[in-house]
Amino acid sequence: MSSNNLVWLVLAVASYAVATVCFFVARSPGRAQVGRLGSFALGAGALANAVDLVVRGVEAGNLPVANFAQSLPLLALLTAIAGLVLIVGFGIGLIGIFAAPIVCVAIVVALALMNPRRIVLPESLRSGWLPVHVTLALGGYALFVLAAGVSIVYLIYEYRLKSKRPAALMGGHVPSLEKLDRINYRLLLWGFIMLSLAIVSGAIWADATWGHFWSWEPQETWSLITWILYASLLESRLTAGWRGRRAATLTLVVVMVTLLLGSLVGLSLMHPGKHGGNFD
Amino acid sequence: MDQRLLIVGINHRGAPVSVRERLAYAPDEITAALERLKAAAPALGEAALISTCNRVELIGVSSEAASAADAAIEFLAADRTIETSAFAPAIYRLEGRDAARHLFRVGASLDSMVVGEPQILGQLKLAYAQAAAAGTAGLILHRAFHKAFSVAKRVRKATLIGRGAVSVSSAAVALAGRIFDTLSDKTVLLMGAGRTAELTARHLRRRGVRSLVVTSRTLDHANRLAENLGATPVPFDAMVHQLELADIVIGSLTVSAPVLGPAEFEPVARARHYRPLFLIDLGVPRNFDERLNSLENVYLYDIDDLGAVATENRDERAREAGRAEAIVEVELESFMRWLDELGLVPAIKDIRLSIEELRDYELRRHRGWLASLEPVEQERVESLTRGLANKLFHRILRGLRQSSDGAGPDSLYTAELARRLLRAPSAGDPDEIVDSDSDPSDDFDSDDVENGDGEKK
Repeated sequence: MSSNNLVWLVLAVASYAVATVCFFVARSPGRAQVGRLGSFALGAGALANAVDLVVRGVEAGNLPVANFAQSLPLLALLTAIAGLVLIVGFGIGLIGIFAAPIVCVAIVVALALMNPRRIVLPESLRSGWLPVHVTLALGGYALFVLAAGVSIVYLIYEYRLKSKRPAALMGGHVPSLEKLDRINYRLLLWGFIMLSLAIVSGAIWADATWGHFWSWEPQETWSLITWILYASLLESRLTAGWRGRRAATLTLVVVMVTLLLGSLVGLSLMHPGKHGGNFD
Repeated sequence: MDQRLLIVGINHRGAPVSVRERLAYAPDEITAALERLKAAAPALGEAALISTCNRVELIGVSSEAASAADAAIEFLAADRTIETSAFAPAIYRLEGRDAARHLFRVGASLDSMVVGEPQILGQLKLAYAQAAAAGTAGLILHRAFHKAFSVAKRVRKATLIGRGAVSVSSAAVALAGRIFDTLSDKTVLLMGAGRTAELTARHLRRRGVRSLVVTSRTLDHANRLAENLGATPVPFDAMVHQLELADIVIGSLTVSAPVLGPAEFEPVARARHYRPLFLIDLGVPRNFDERLNSLENVYLYDIDDLGAVATENRDERAREAGRAEAIVEVELESFMRWLDELGLVPAIKDIRLSIEELRDYELRRHRGWLASLEPVEQERVESLTRGLANKLFHRILRGLRQSSDGAGPDSLYTAELARRLLRAPSAGDPDEIVDSDSDPSDDFDSDDVENGDGEKK
């Protein structure tokens, strides 16, 4: 297949880059309106991102995600959509300066790693379980990424309030700390639910295809560790009453660790296997 | 004939409250007062009366602005039974452009005691409605008020003039809104009494705080305070328990040392499950140990912190006021241009009429041979003359508009000149032409050789 099947991804990355610039510019005083432009660019990027997945999905006959690099565009799309909901729906404009660069980088990495040729899914992956399992897993990660973003916003706002410099928080639709804390919790909760469902659906799928639920493959082991980390993060909130700064810091640490190490595990899995492999 | 806007009044800058309160009108008195004014000062063609805590102003329209202003001042003195000398030094009299600018600045809250406060626009709208009800608002006041409203709207939209808390109590309330998403499920504990503390409690109440608990050194005192604020009194020894329940604590006790420090607070924080706590310390000496601010989910602001927030916002408003003034000037220009053109309207009407009459006259004079033309050709002659008349009129109009960009009287003079120059031959007797409607056109045909020549091609 010619390389023009990546044209939508290039468009997406360009829009995401514009959105990134807009969201940063919107931070300087008196430029708040630029933020709206950023939301538009983020939305346009998500649209191009989605069109790319549809185009390549039709070619592949399924969700075009056969390995780590190929799953990045879907992760970016889900993050962009959830980010837009937080920015436009919940008025947390500051999320833009985290969400936009993250999705931008995700697509750039995908473009660098992805083989531009047509994706051929191995027989074992051509299943109705693929979109369910992958969308749930990546959706969960998208929500965790945004939970980390919201945590950073929380920490910045909290610092300003504590250091008696709240002027920047006083105007417009700046969300309160209580609201940020609640959103952080909800993102974690829904991310956790999606991750759990992803693991369950993956196990069922594995059983149907290979005849066993679990094989302690690195990706499986890693997802279990991730699951335990998020479970304890939620638990600390619910029982120990951890909230506010402590919860935000912990969220940040857990998401960074799981995301960074998760990516490394993902990258190392670019060899054949259930979760990876070059099918060239 | 030149109608001018005028304003006489006093405000918080020149007149102390002892004077303002004697001149002030209650809202329901204003319509009647305007009707009395109409009878007392016939020189005022239109009038409206604004009366707020900070100003009493009479806005009028008159062709003799100076004497109308005198009459308005005399009316105010007589109507409020206060001798003119008592408020004469504080009074300001503004005319024309200055009056319009003042009205716009008042509406945009640039003339308010607290610049950017939002109430004044509502008060101005009320004054306008009352003038309309009294039948004293005419063409110019309608336009002036509506312009003032749109200026205010533009200023609100384009500047940050109304933003930020500018008092200690409102800064405290604004901060509470940054910490808590909603106040409707929160509990406020007020410790001790004090003007700012009570004001803050009332503010929070208005913003929807569910329960307000007050405590004081003596239960008697707490009871009185509670009654005042519609709150629940609790004994002072129950303070620790109340701290566990409260989300916002206002400290206004007279103490020699802080009543709450980190050590005492630690068990409380655990009992609260580390829920966020906003401590507002309005006491001097301070009620809360400042180290509390470093504890998790505790936000402590003392009177100086809140004062600094308020001052910063006031400075911000002052900066924004400069941008607002620029908007006022632009809008003022457009209003004054409208007003100037309003003076030109009668002359413009006459000029249009004169040109049309001239055209009708010529067409009628030639109707004899025009009737012999093909309908298409008749139409052509019709449109040729119409075009000529329109071009002439628009050229004059454009000339007038250009001259009215400068000073008003100039364009009025020019318009009058144009009107006279275009008037029908037998000066001031357009009837003659109207009469000629019934006359046969033959007379004219034979009269005018030049035109006759033109016909023969």
